[in-house]
Amino acid sequence: MRLLQPRRWGIFLTAFFISVAQAQTEERLKLCAGCHGTDGNSPIAGTPSLAGQPRVFLENYLVLTREGLRGTDVMRQLLKGITDREIVALAAHYAKLAPRAQSIDVDRKLFERGRAVAAKNRCGTCHLTDYRGREQMPRLAGQREDFLAEAMFAYQQNRRAGGDTIMAASLYGIPSADIRALAHYLARLR
Amino acid sequence: MIRTAITASLLLAFGGAQAQDKPKPPPAWHQGKPAAMADSKLAPLAGKMTETPAGEIPVDKIKVPKGFKVELWASGMPGARAMAQGDKGKIYIGTRTIGRVYEVTDHGDKRTSRVVIDKLTQPAGVAYANGSLYVIAIDKVLRFDGIEDKPEVQPVDMTDKFALPKEQHHNWKYIAFGPDKKLYVPFGAPCNICEPPKEYAQIRRYNADGSGMEVLATGVRNTQGFDWHPKTGELWFTDHGRDWMGDNGPEDELNRIDKAGNFYGYPYCHAKGVVDIDIKKKDACKGVTLPVATMGPHAAVMGVKFYTGTMFPKEYQNTMFIARKGSWNRTVKLGFDVVNVRASADGKSAKVTPFMTGFLEDPKEAKFWGRPAYIHQMKDGSLLVTDEQLGAIYRVSYDGGKKK
Repeated sequence: MRLLQPRRWGIFLTAFFISVAQAQTEERLKLCAGCHGTDGNSPIAGTPSLAGQPRVFLENYLVLTREGLRGTDVMRQLLKGITDREIVALAAHYAKLAPRAQSIDVDRKLFERGRAVAAKNRCGTCHLTDYRGREQMPRLAGQREDFLAEAMFAYQQNRRAGGDTIMAASLYGIPSADIRALAHYLARLR
Repeated sequence: MIRTAITASLLLAFGGAQAQDKPKPPPAWHQGKPAAMADSKLAPLAGKMTETPAGEIPVDKIKVPKGFKVELWASGMPGARAMAQGDKGKIYIGTRTIGRVYEVTDHGDKRTSRVVIDKLTQPAGVAYANGSLYVIAIDKVLRFDGIEDKPEVQPVDMTDKFALPKEQHHNWKYIAFGPDKKLYVPFGAPCNICEPPKEYAQIRRYNADGSGMEVLATGVRNTQGFDWHPKTGELWFTDHGRDWMGDNGPEDELNRIDKAGNFYGYPYCHAKGVVDIDIKKKDACKGVTLPVATMGPHAAVMGVKFYTGTMFPKEYQNTMFIARKGSWNRTVKLGFDVVNVRASADGKSAKVTPFMTGFLEDPKEAKFWGRPAYIHQMKDGSLLVTDEQLGAIYRVSYDGGKKK
């Protein structure tokens, strides 16, 4: 009989919905893993690693992609109708995973050039000096080199929109060779 | 000579990049950052774009003066900013990054909300008049006729009539209809500090159909809130001071427009006569209308509301409530509150007093949980305050502390 008390039903229903949400998230994570890697470190060219990204950055990206304000067509399709609750769960999941650099072959000259370009353009102001990112600003250290280069070129050519215009303006006028060096350098940081 | 000085300061403001083969404008919010602050880690604070469940909003942490009461009135609207109320009581709410406009319906004991329109570029401006909702995004002006009765009404696109300039920075808008039935629209400076192109750093007004545009005030860096004095009908507006001149200035402003055509000083002269360090001009503060009050360095002064209700004690009549969203360009955070400002109708003897606080928990560690942004007065005299960080609305009422 005590089960019929509204309070108990409330607890029961909450537990039920949490378990449904967890099951949904687990299903979705399997889908994500197909491209972004089971541990959040992407094995696929052009697809970003998500492991260790700041939680707020991931949430913002997922919301804005669902809303159709940024992201690729594929990602917009995949995220159609995703709830905020699921977004929070996905972001928390990937933020906790350990990032693992995918590129290990170091071109010393290119690496040093990238370091100098990053220092000169003060990328560390927002992304922090070890480039681990914070809050709404993504982790760059250990991200895939091909993804970093493409993302930066896309910003420069106004093919990529963020929450605002800060990145496009930050990369304005940086020569292509320097962008490639930046990507090489950042991708090899731990 | 003056021209040379301006050119030299522009070179400085743009990081001296003109000397290289490719001009490289720094990001708008980064302009004017001096070499001494090059290693500063200050950056705009992150917003939250997911819904915050009502149970996770610590409304009991909000402090108000004795006799006042705060309750959570509505939630689940990420990025909620300015409010406009329809004739039948519905509240319309603009946002920035998330690109939505919300509508809140009050059912007495609870509120429900829905998204009126989404996928817009920073639709921060909402206003209601003549049975229509007006929405202004950075690149769009929309009018929803009879929306309170027709939730599915398709908007009339009025963008062409308003001639919106293309720069985005500081061009998300607060808008409102004045006592003259005209729509007031600000156009912020598209940078932290620069010589603004001629369409920017000003407040304009239009007829409701977009015709008859007039520039009412210039030298306005970034106003995100205004209201009209209940007695004089004059416009009072908040304005954000520039960044990267240190923790202590220049302070944000509260201004008053006593006549059309006033110049408010940007980019040469800030606050109550602080001369700019990048954009230099001889007699920088000559001919500048100085503010009624300074509102704190980097405080991010937002919505302004003159109180005309009868619920609050008499001493609040015709005083202003002003939301300060809180600073990012300051090592010790400041603002994150609603203040009460008393001033005579001619703008003299302004006094700023904290009214609604408790959102900022540790100024040195930038620990805060909410950011008050806009204020709306309800018919019963209570105030609604939006929290842009948690996508919530709080209701502030007064009962003299009689009830428990």
